Amino acid sequence: MDSTSRQIRFTLNGRPVSARVESHLDLVDLLRRFDLFGARESCGQGLCGCCTVLVDGVAVSGCLTLAQLVDGKSVTTVESLDESGELSHVQQAFIDEGAFQCGFCTPGFVMMAHELLKQNPDPNETEIRDYLAGNLCRCAAYPEIIRAVRSAADRMRPA
Amino acid sequence: MRGFELVHPASLDEAIKLLDVDDPTVRPFSGGTALMLMMKTGVFQPSILVHLGGLEAEHAAVAVTPEGGLRIGALATLTSVEHSAEVVRVAPVIPRAMKRLANVRVRNVARIGGNLAHGDPHMDLPPVLSSLGGAVTVRGPGGTRSIPIEGLFSGYYETVLTRGELITDVTLPSQRGWASAYLKCTTRSADDWPTLGVAVSLKVTDGAIAESRVMVSAATEKLTRLPSAEAVLKGANAGEDAVARAADAAAAEAETIDDARGSAEYKTELLRVYVKRALGEAIRNGAVQ
Ligand SMILES: Cc1cc2nc3c(=O)[nH]c(=O)nc-3n(C[C@H](O)[C@H](O)[C@H](O)COP(=O)(O)OP(=O)(O)OC[C@H]3O[C@@H](n4cnc5c(N)ncnc54)[C@H](O)[C@@H]3O)c2cc1C
Ligand code: FES
Ligand code: FES
Repeated sequence: MDSTSRQIRFTLNGRPVSARVESHLDLVDLLRRFDLFGARESCGQGLCGCCTVLVDGVAVSGCLTLAQLVDGKSVTTVESLDESGELSHVQQAFIDEGAFQCGFCTPGFVMMAHELLKQNPDPNETEIRDYLAGNLCRCAAYPEIIRAVRSAADRMRPA
Repeated sequence: MRGFELVHPASLDEAIKLLDVDDPTVRPFSGGTALMLMMKTGVFQPSILVHLGGLEAEHAAVAVTPEGGLRIGALATLTSVEHSAEVVRVAPVIPRAMKRLANVRVRNVARIGGNLAHGDPHMDLPPVLSSLGGAVTVRGPGGTRSIPIEGLFSGYYETVLTRGELITDVTLPSQRGWASAYLKCTTRSADDWPTLGVAVSLKVTDGAIAESRVMVSAATEKLTRLPSAEAVLKGANAGEDAVARAADAAAAEAETIDDARGSAEYKTELLRVYVKRALGEAIRNGAVQ
């Protein structure tokens, strides 16, 4: 263990945890140590959104986040969404609309869609495109993804 | 990435002291979005990173100044600037430009001070903020000074900041009566670094252009102001004829450079077209009240 590693404590999906982390470790790799594989590294450059997680409720690219900097913070990953035993409205809408093929990008899109709908419960297509512009899908499921976000917005609207 | 030390100063002055050393591997770290890329590729191997994020409480506010301009703390995230009601009112061109700057996650993390200190000539905010007459307040071992953003960059990825100096604030004068626009042209993919960025600001009085600022980025080695285009605009009617002549003057003046995004000649032609479009858009946008 190198001398620049440090013991950190943070909240992970609502539970207090601690870990010893090296200075250069990024948040995606830290999450793997907790057997959380939903956030995955693809571009490693902040471009594709596959590594999207929330830190203190703010969406970030895990690949650009130093693990030591989540000390004392709250980290939320895609694995938190179905903890109740049921899929979230966004997750269900992605399935119903067929908004993926290989699914590699899906956790990132789902996390970003949740953030968008929190800030803007009734987004139009332009707003969805702007918000998700930093998420890339190599299978090009974009039309279905946009439909899924619209559908999730409808499902989440109070009756 | 190799191991390094991440230190957390409790004040700006402590940060300045930590940075006042003759060692380029000791650097400030704000949002880290630019630094992380440089560290991951091995372009930069730090020994000590001085993390500024803990100073957010004192240095991230956005406020309207008594003169009607803006003062933005260096640690304000790009997202907080984008959504600030004050920024939307005083300088609406900033939130418009943010829409196509990186993506939501990067804007959530990147901070305006880190953005301006990075010195990459392809970035969007340097041309926008300099066209608005913006300046940075800088504090270092020798005290505090103000630097106009148009004079902040000394070369490709180079700034005039000296050892131990930190950007603490961004200031903008009142924009009342000024109309602004920013356009970028990405030639390889929509989210690629721009081949060209053009920011213009005009003060129009009774249909005539009293003053203007025309800035070009990305196509030149560093952010560049184009005084000959401004000279053509001065006193002219805010119409198509002046706009076309200013675009020709801009194309004649700017020293564009060749790179993977196109030849210098190609960028000069792009500049002619984009100066015309940006001026037209600024006139259509109309002045800030
Ligand atoms: C995926 C991606 C896409 C992007 N797309 C765009 C785009 O479309 N348009 C665009 O304009 N930019 C784009 N960027 C660049 C982005 O704007 C910068 O990375 C970001 O603004 C830098 O801010 P930061 O706080 O993260 O800086 P850091 O990475 O923390 O620091 C950058 C530099 O500034 C120094 N520094 C930091 N704070 C200070 C300070 N207060 N005083 C003095 N020096 C300081 C650091 O030592 C370092 O040298 C993109 C970046 C990524 C990762
Ligand atoms: S892996 Fe982090 S944004 Fe692509
Ligand atoms: S579903 Fe395959 S990358 Fe998006």
